[in-house]
Amino acid sequence: MKDNKFVFFLLIPSFFFIVFFYLYPTLYNLFNSFTDLNLFKLRKGGNWIGFENYIDLFVDPEFIRVFFNTTIWLTLVGVAVRIILGLLLAFLINSETLKKYKLTGLFQVSLIIPWATPSIVAVVVWRMILDPQVGFVNQTLVKYGIITEPIAFLSNTSFVWPSIITIITWNTLPLVTLTFLASLKSVPAELLDAATVDGANKLQRAFYVILPHMIPSIIVMILMSTFWTFNNFAYVWLATGAGPGTFTNVMATEVYLKAFVDGRMGYSSALGIVMASIMTVFGIIYLRMIVKRNLKEIF
Amino acid sequence: MIYEIVVLLTALILFIGIIYPTLWVFIASFKSEETIFSNEYATYTFDNYIELFESGFGVFIYNSFYICLISVIITIFASVTAAYVFSRKKFKFKIIYFGSIMLGQTFPWIILVTPMFILFAKLGFLNNHISMIFCYVAVSLPFSVYLLVGYLESVPRELDEAALMDGCPPFQIIWKIIFPIMIPGIIVTAAYSFLLMWSEYLFALAFLTKTKLKTMPLELYAFFGEHTTEWGQVMAASAVTTIPTLLLFLPLQKLISEGLTAGSVKS
Repeated sequence: MKDNKFVFFLLIPSFFFIVFFYLYPTLYNLFNSFTDLNLFKLRKGGNWIGFENYIDLFVDPEFIRVFFNTTIWLTLVGVAVRIILGLLLAFLINSETLKKYKLTGLFQVSLIIPWATPSIVAVVVWRMILDPQVGFVNQTLVKYGIITEPIAFLSNTSFVWPSIITIITWNTLPLVTLTFLASLKSVPAELLDAATVDGANKLQRAFYVILPHMIPSIIVMILMSTFWTFNNFAYVWLATGAGPGTFTNVMATEVYLKAFVDGRMGYSSALGIVMASIMTVFGIIYLRMIVKRNLKEIF
Repeated sequence: MIYEIVVLLTALILFIGIIYPTLWVFIASFKSEETIFSNEYATYTFDNYIELFESGFGVFIYNSFYICLISVIITIFASVTAAYVFSRKKFKFKIIYFGSIMLGQTFPWIILVTPMFILFAKLGFLNNHISMIFCYVAVSLPFSVYLLVGYLESVPRELDEAALMDGCPPFQIIWKIIFPIMIPGIIVTAAYSFLLMWSEYLFALAFLTKTKLKTMPLELYAFFGEHTTEWGQVMAASAVTTIPTLLLFLPLQKLISEGLTAGSVKS
């Protein structure tokens, strides 16, 4: 069999999915974003309205909130918390003290538990832990007199974002931590010894030797966490239903609400295209910085 | 000494924070409804599980299991073949095609819902598990290809090139040489995909409306919404949802963490 034919056959399965599940939906949304297609008048179809949806989008105060929620709260704060905690936890797990008491392995295994807990279960159990009536957190805080009245963490506007971030962090921290831990362990011993000989203390070694060595894996985790969090629908939808009101509405939930509750499918498509465009920018950074570097030979 | 105590104490608090929520699911699932939130005493029982399965939860476990299993198999098939070609062959538009699959990792899945809903409706695939299987394969494909290409890069080319020189038919090279040596990478990819599909909520919400076709995450959440006061049963349902992924990940933890982190640690 000729090599070209062989290559062609092997690419059919992936090609099928790329065309039908990536290309087609993107083009479909792109087209619809220029129409006034409505869910309740699907048969009638949409009329071409040019850039009206995009203009509406950028003057809509709700979009400004949704955009702020998605980029600042969900993505920036969410990813930063995960990366910083992941780094600290990796350093802790790899510390001399934990090694001395042989706790490193136990800790590593324990990280599998939140990782293997399906996100739906994570949300359900955390909603219970944070529940104002029966939740462990409120019970403890009230018992020790830190607060007098229980707090409805997931419907109180001061606490709802930190609570959502807590749930996502708990569920996604393991992968980040284990990646950092692997990177931490791959620091050449000679490098650390040399630094010690030069009189560097623990903190100096961490900042000037270990962290620079970990930069590539930190960048990968920042980018991947960004994709996974920015696009995520389930955490916010299940934790708060975008509420209270639409206080925690993010782009993914807004696309859903606009299309299936308000029926404004054209507008929803425009929003989806904005999302995809933002992610494409990050995706190109990812391709250039990570994929190209890690998989050099194939290019 | 004080330093050590501080470190150990911090570690203990974090350790509890890490395992407590899931541990609680399992403990609470065996507590009777009346004593579930009591710290002083508790009665342990299987009632929550019995009631859960009597209410017909078994069918959702079955649905989820077979959808995820078939989807994982197709994902592995599609990504192994693609990974082999990307790693070993040169062809036109290779970089563009590989780049677009990789960009798939950044794809906002929410924008797939409307076009697919309409397409599936036309094809009669709504309320049909075929639509779920297709979507799940599509979602897990980009990262699977990335993982497997990365894994294949660590396998010496001489191995399959020698076989090709010896006149071994190309399809047999994949099946008899590439596939067996890739088993560790395939296990990691399969575990990653399974977890992703097993927890998937959005597509199930959009494409499955008939109760008996629903998957576990969908039903667990619906159950949670309807039975907010019956925490015992909700916890039993959560435990049942968590057991398969936990059983998959715990024995494979070393392999999975090494496999998933390998790509990003390489320097």
